[in-house]
Amino acid sequence: MKLNHKFAQKIGLLLLNVFFIALCFIVLIPILYALSISFNAQGGLLGSDFRFIPRAFTLDHYRAVLVDQPLFLWFGNTLVLAFSAVGVALSVSVPGAYALSRFRFGGRQKVFSGLLLLHAFPAILSMFAIFRLLSPLGLINSRMGILIIYVGTMTVFGLLNLKGYFDSIPIEIEESAAMDGAGMWHTIKSILLPLARPALIVTGVMVMIFVWNEYIYAITFMTGASNYTLAVGLYTLQATEMTGSWPVFAAASILVSLPILFIFFATQKYMTTGLTAGGVKG
Amino acid sequence: MHRSKNLKNALMAWTSLSPALIFIGLIILFPIGYTFYISLTNMNIFNWFDFRVVGLGNYRRALFVFDSGFLRALWITVIWTILNMVLQLVIAFVMASLLNVQKLKYARVYKTILMFPWAMPGYVSILLWRHGIFNAQFGLLNQWLYQLGMEPRRWLADDLTAFVVCMIVNLWLALPFMMMIMDGALKSLDKSYYESALIDGAGWFTRSVRLTIPAIRPIIAPAVIITLFTTFKQFDVIYLMTQQVGAQTGANIHTVLTYAYESAFVTRNYGYSSAVSIIIFAMLIAFSLLVTVLRKRGQSA
Repeated sequence: MKLNHKFAQKIGLLLLNVFFIALCFIVLIPILYALSISFNAQGGLLGSDFRFIPRAFTLDHYRAVLVDQPLFLWFGNTLVLAFSAVGVALSVSVPGAYALSRFRFGGRQKVFSGLLLLHAFPAILSMFAIFRLLSPLGLINSRMGILIIYVGTMTVFGLLNLKGYFDSIPIEIEESAAMDGAGMWHTIKSILLPLARPALIVTGVMVMIFVWNEYIYAITFMTGASNYTLAVGLYTLQATEMTGSWPVFAAASILVSLPILFIFFATQKYMTTGLTAGGVKG
Repeated sequence: MHRSKNLKNALMAWTSLSPALIFIGLIILFPIGYTFYISLTNMNIFNWFDFRVVGLGNYRRALFVFDSGFLRALWITVIWTILNMVLQLVIAFVMASLLNVQKLKYARVYKTILMFPWAMPGYVSILLWRHGIFNAQFGLLNQWLYQLGMEPRRWLADDLTAFVVCMIVNLWLALPFMMMIMDGALKSLDKSYYESALIDGAGWFTRSVRLTIPAIRPIIAPAVIITLFTTFKQFDVIYLMTQQVGAQTGANIHTVLTYAYESAFVTRNYGYSSAVSIIIFAMLIAFSLLVTVLRKRGQSA
């Protein structure tokens, strides 16, 4: 009887493992398929029987992306934009969040509630208004223009997320430093920021991922090919919906995703601690 | 003395906040105000400069003229949100429970792999689904159908099929986050709640309904509310799968956001599109106020 139970448990576990292996495979199909097509010398057209491990390997599609398409230009544009956005967004969000967390002043609660409301606002809804406002200023098809948009959009999240985390750090630590005569900025820099490292990393990574993955503003605002980000480049690649370009698009997709996958899994351990505060997700 | 310290405090606070608030004011607040202004005008592609204020006509058209399409988009969005949320919660709960079966040695490996849809850039994944899996000529699904001797289908051409396809893609994108939240919630419970989930079969179901779900509800509530909002505000899936400007697939499905986008950037009726935007924003505000009130009541009860 007891043996039977144990046996049933073993079978159950085995089935569960089989189930999860199958599930993992099914979930990965779109990615594996793109990966396979990107290396496949045969194309992968309807009728040719497809296998996940190609019979003939080729790097042609990757060469096509890297040589024929200005991928490095897009990559550079995206990198500059992403790092500037992270830099600016963090440097305006840190003092702002500090003020919201530590100072008691008239209007504080109003600012906070306002931020919560704005956080629910989908940026797409005011895209036309922004377009019309920025266009006489010459900020359309300009890196400065799109940078301002990205920073403005992500600052709401930055303020909320950092404030939530600052709130969880006991104020006594700073008070003792202030009593020792340290000024506010010095206290922030030497005491608060090191303690808030997880939140700073997560906020920065979220801004970075946002810029990397944002395409709708980029395709609407960045009309000149020399300003294309990776997202715009990839979007234009897929828009020419030709059978021949699909393997090239697959290769480009893999290349574009790799840095983000790396950042995601490298910072995952911070995500639980650095994001739970404030209950906001980007 | 005390007063001047307060004043100094407030001054410091506002100074520290001002750079952030300037960006927010410039890019979010002012454009919302401007959108509201445009919504009262007849601005469109023909009246780019010589538009005039026409009052609430655009709102009337959106809310009371059924043919305008906004109400239809709203209806689709509501169904979309409900179906997605129900499926997400059920599937994520079952998956998280299975992942927490004791002695499942490789649970961590499975979890990492199942995180991939979340980690990938969203628009890349959606485009891979569109072109890789559901493309009518060379998509994987049609290749498989072909090998089985069946007719290939145009998956994104009619409303119902396209809607289901978009749901599948959305679930694929959203489930990892929900699963991780549920997994975290289950891990915070006493192990006896969910252990031997697999073996007990029916016992597991009753125990889940009576014990586990009530226990994790307060833990997962914030994440569920956030997901509810993001599902309602869904744009990327519907847009990239079916409504790309210049590459529409023929299916006439819209969420409120893709609808607002289309009336601004495709039909170029800016006044009307702005009215739709303001209505959506008002609904989101009402919605979040409602949620806040309900949660406060739930906490005090």
